[in-house]
Amino acid sequence: MSQPVTLALFCKVVDNYGDIGICWRLARQLVHEHGIAVTLWVDDMHSFARICPRVDPHVAAQQVEGVAVYHWRDQEGTYFAEDVADIVIEFFAVDIPPGYVTAMAQRPVKPVWLNLEGLTAEEWVEGCHTLPSMHPRLPLTKHFFFPGFKGKTGGLPREAGLFGERDRFQQDPAAVAAFLGALGLDAAEQAACKVSLFCYPHAPVASLFDAWQRGGAPVACLVPEGVAKDEVRAFLGAEPVAGAVRTQGMLTVRVLPFVPQPDYDRLLWACDVNIVRGEDSFVRAQWAGRPFAWHIYPQDENLHHKKLRAFIARYCAPQYGAALDGASPDNAAAGRPDANALERLMLALNGVVEETDWLPLWQALSGSLEPLACRSANWQKALLENGDLASNLLTFARSVR
Amino acid sequence: MKPAKEIRVGNIIMVDAKPFIVLRSDVNGSSRTGFTYKWKMKNLLTNAPLENVFRGDDKFDVVVLDKKPVTYSYFADPLYVFMDEEYNQYEIEEENLGDALNYLKDGMACEAVFYDGKAISVELPTTIVRQIVYSEPAVKGNTSGNVLKEAKIENAIESKQHTVQVPLFVSQDDSIEIDTRTNEYKRVIRN
Repeated sequence: MSQPVTLALFCKVVDNYGDIGICWRLARQLVHEHGIAVTLWVDDMHSFARICPRVDPHVAAQQVEGVAVYHWRDQEGTYFAEDVADIVIEFFAVDIPPGYVTAMAQRPVKPVWLNLEGLTAEEWVEGCHTLPSMHPRLPLTKHFFFPGFKGKTGGLPREAGLFGERDRFQQDPAAVAAFLGALGLDAAEQAACKVSLFCYPHAPVASLFDAWQRGGAPVACLVPEGVAKDEVRAFLGAEPVAGAVRTQGMLTVRVLPFVPQPDYDRLLWACDVNIVRGEDSFVRAQWAGRPFAWHIYPQDENLHHKKLRAFIARYCAPQYGAALDGASPDNAAAGRPDANALERLMLALNGVVEETDWLPLWQALSGSLEPLACRSANWQKALLENGDLASNLLTFARSVR
Repeated sequence: MKPAKEIRVGNIIMVDAKPFIVLRSDVNGSSRTGFTYKWKMKNLLTNAPLENVFRGDDKFDVVVLDKKPVTYSYFADPLYVFMDEEYNQYEIEEENLGDALNYLKDGMACEAVFYDGKAISVELPTTIVRQIVYSEPAVKGNTSGNVLKEAKIENAIESKQHTVQVPLFVSQDDSIEIDTRTNEYKRVIRN
């Protein structure tokens, strides 16, 4: 079997930053850790430039951090067999330009064609991962590739040096203080319980703000510019631009500038609780090792509720619970107050269950930060056993080539 | 051309210029594009089984084959016998019936599908009504986590006892309408 050396990744931006966020991390990792020549086709260069300022949104073709970046303008265009990469990935089932598909079929050695699907903890994924999908008319076979949390899936995206970098940062209080200070946080905000907030517009942010204001301990909520605009504007009594800040009751809300990916990782590492959304920040929050709540991308027929419950069922499983003094892990997990608190908050955050008073939810969660951090560590340990998405993807590509 | 989401068990589709019969279809929520269809298929030329997965909007040529209304008559091990209005009998192999086996009932009306003059499968109506033969009673207060419960439905073949997810208010002996394309409960039929 010949070694694939080129890879084309097609990304359509629907969810603002999550799609390109995942693709960009994957593209960089394939280049830097595996020596693959990657071409990344992106339809929305402006979103891309926000998470990676080195990208010039006005340039159709450019080289960024070793990745060839092309503006994917439309479905037109003529492609030749020699244009086609050894591995072609359609991210989230995007439609590749028909001309490119035709050129794929014309290659003497057909490319490995993968549909890289969305992340879900649902069990059915394990039965569909790596299954073929024959093209109805052309001599091409695509394979479905599912990221996931168990051994029968493709795993999660994770760079080789991620944990080392995270640990060095978290164990260096001066570095953390300097980072937060550069974002504008004063000493009181740094000493408060720091919550990063990245959610979709329908999140019940006003309820959260209300609970934090009435809480028994200071909370500093750090929200990127453009997120939860209406609620943040109402709290601030001013436009929610980067640098805006206001304290009411026990809550301080601070609007942060939209930061590039590496700084967003540091923000997750520096906060005590992270509220994340979609897929990319959701995965990064898991690697951050801090308690987090997931605001999931909404889907028709409330499919996202199923996905959320499937994740909660896995993440809140007893085996990831922390052992209490003198208790066996099983006994300690039986009560699992940390998991209960997290589950209730996530269900309420996503509108799966109605909550009238969010203060008890927050108090239960903030009182469980230590066991939740243990749960996170146990969870990460289990995930590591399945390797990482980029390596698994290449291993599979080599097996079918 | 038909999208995958409109293709049903028993349909014959062309894949890479070869005819395949769809024997089983598992539908699951997928990414933002909708649903993922996992099909068990059989190559009608070679009889080779195949498992593939498709997006709901992947399009296929559906081979229009002769069909004839039939009713399920009896099981003549290892074949299932269907009968048309003129009392002609057609024997179909179990593996070709796919998910239709889950709903088989004496006298059940369906359509036999013919390929090369031979009955090769049956197509079920889009919706059918079946009685629930067993389901646990709903437990009061147990609604936050479990909004659905399992219900076994009547079936001519004991070994093929099929289960459908139904809402908690549905009880044993109720009749329910089921979508045979998705194996999903649609509504309860009560007089």
